Amino acid sequence: MIRRFVLAALILLTPVAIVRAEGLVSTVSNPNVAITSSFDGETLSLFGNVEPDEGRSPVSGPYDVIIVVTGPSVDRVVRRKSNVLGLWVNTEQVEFNPFPTYYQVLASNPLEKITDHKTLVAERILPEVQAQISAVPQSLHVERFGAELVRLMTDRGLFGINDLAVRFLSPTAYAAQLTLPGDISNGLFISQTYLFKHGKLLAKRGDSFMVNKTGFERFLFASAHGQPLLYGVVCALLAVATGWLGGVIFRR
Amino acid sequence: MQIYLPIAALSVNLFFLVGIGAAVGFLSGLFGVGGGFLLTPLLIFSGVPPSVAVASVTGQVAAASTSGALSYWRRGGIDFHLALYLILSSLIGVLGGVATFSALRAAGQLDLVISVGYLLVLGAVGIIMMNEAVRAMLKRRAGVLPEKLASQHNWMHGLPLRIRFKRSKLYISVLPVLAIGVVIGFLGSLLGIGGGFIVVPALVYLLRVPGSVVVGTTLLQMVAMMAATIILQSVQSQSVDILLAFCLMVGGTIGAQFGASAGQYLRGEQLRFLLAALVLAVAARFGLSLVLPPTDPFSMTVIGPGGPL
Repeated sequence: MIRRFVLAALILLTPVAIVRAEGLVSTVSNPNVAITSSFDGETLSLFGNVEPDEGRSPVSGPYDVIIVVTGPSVDRVVRRKSNVLGLWVNTEQVEFNPFPTYYQVLASNPLEKITDHKTLVAERILPEVQAQISAVPQSLHVERFGAELVRLMTDRGLFGINDLAVRFLSPTAYAAQLTLPGDISNGLFISQTYLFKHGKLLAKRGDSFMVNKTGFERFLFASAHGQPLLYGVVCALLAVATGWLGGVIFRR
Repeated sequence: MQIYLPIAALSVNLFFLVGIGAAVGFLSGLFGVGGGFLLTPLLIFSGVPPSVAVASVTGQVAAASTSGALSYWRRGGIDFHLALYLILSSLIGVLGGVATFSALRAAGQLDLVISVGYLLVLGAVGIIMMNEAVRAMLKRRAGVLPEKLASQHNWMHGLPLRIRFKRSKLYISVLPVLAIGVVIGFLGSLLGIGGGFIVVPALVYLLRVPGSVVVGTTLLQMVAMMAATIILQSVQSQSVDILLAFCLMVGGTIGAQFGASAGQYLRGEQLRFLLAALVLAVAARFGLSLVLPPTDPFSMTVIGPGGPL
C-alpha cells in the first residue's frame, strides 16, 4: 500500500522536473466520483491548456496530447486452461503485482502518429508495458500472458486506447471525455497528461481524482472487509429473519 | 433498474436477480428442496464470480430453509435430538469445506472443483432419483422398496454407540448420523448447496427416519449449517455479497409460496421425475463446460485481500 502511494506521489511530482519552453495546466471536472446504488458509469471531463513558461515567447502548435488515466492497483493473476486427460483445467499462471484495475489512454491522434514506439514504451504509455513491468518474473510466458491480461481487461472495458478522445478547442486548449464503467474499483485515480510536438515530449503533468463507493455500498464493502465476523453474523441473521418473515406472511 | 453489488463489484438488473430468485424459489417450493444447486449455477452462468455466487447463495438457502423449518415446527415435524447431532457434525464439515474453498481459490482450481463437484453430486443423485421415480411410476404400488431397506438396516445395526431418538422412534448408532452431517457440511459449504436432496434420501433409506419428521429435521439442520457457512465464508474469503443474497432471498421466499401450491397438483413420483430431469440437466451443463474447449483459455482474477473479487 505504502509503495503504491509513493509511486503515486512520484508520478504527481514529475512535472516539476521537466523544464521546457511549454508548460501545461490541466484539471479534472469531478475530483470525487461517487458510486451509489444506481451507479452505472460516470462521465468525466479532463481539460487543460498549453502555457508558455515565464519569459518565453508565446506558444505555437500543432500539439498532440496523450492522457493516461490509471486506476488503483491490485494483485492479479492470469491463468491458462489446457486439456488434461480430456478435461479443461487451469495449468499455467503468471502473477502481476501490482497491476492497475483501470487504464485508459486518451489521445488527440493515433499514438504512432504522435510519437515513436520507443517513447511510448519509455514513458509507459502503452498498456502492455504496464503488464510487463508488474509481472512477477517467474515465467517464460510473461509477454504472452501480459498481452492476454490487457486483452481481458480491454474486453471488460477497463483498459483501452481511444485516439479520438482528446479534442483541441483552440490551438492550445484541449478537452477530453472519459466514461468510467460501472464495475470500477474505488480509490485514487491518476491522470497523467503528456504534451507532444513533432514527436517530442514537451511536458508532463499529473492530476488525480478519487472514486468512492459512497453511502450504503461503501458501508457494506467496508464492513465486509473491516468487520468480517460482524458482517457474517448480520448476513446470517438477515437470512433467518427474511425466511421467518416469509413463513409468517405466507403461512405455508 | 440496475443495482450495484458491492462485493461482486458488478452492476446487475434488480429484477433479473429477484426474478431468478423467484423462479428457483418456485421450483424449490414445488420440489421441497432448497434450490441452491440451481441458483449457484445460474449465477455463475450469468457472470457472477463463482466464489461470490457460492458464498451468497448460502444466504438464500438459509432463508428458504427457515420458512420451511418454521412450518414443519408448527406441525411438530422436527426431531430436535436428531437435528442436534446432524448440526454439530455438519459444522465440522463446514469448517473443512470453507477452508478447502479458500485453499482452492488461492490455487486457481476452485472453478474446476465446483464444476466437477456439481457434475458428480448432481449426476449421481439425479440418476438415483430418476431410476427410483421411473420404477415408482411403472409400478405404482412398489413392493421393491422394503427389501432394499431391510438390507441397509442390518448393516447399520452392527455399529456401536447407539442412541435413542424418541421423536423418530429410532434406536440407532450415532456414527452414520455424524457421517451424513460431516459429508453434507463439507459439500454444502464447498458447492453452495443446502444438500436437502442428499440428506433426505440418506436419512430415509439409510437410517429409516420416518417421513413425518425427516424433511423438517433436515430443514432445521440446513438453517444452522448455512448460517454457520455464511459467517465462516464472510470471515475467511469475504465473498458473501449481502445485497445479492438479499435480492435472491426476497425472490426465493415469494416464489416458494407459489411453487408449494403448484406442487399439490402433481403426484410424488412425477415431482421426483421432473426434479431428477432438472438435476441431470444442470449436471450435464457442468459436464459440457469441463470437456468442451473453453471459448477463452485465459482467465484473470484478483488475488489477496482488499481487491474487488
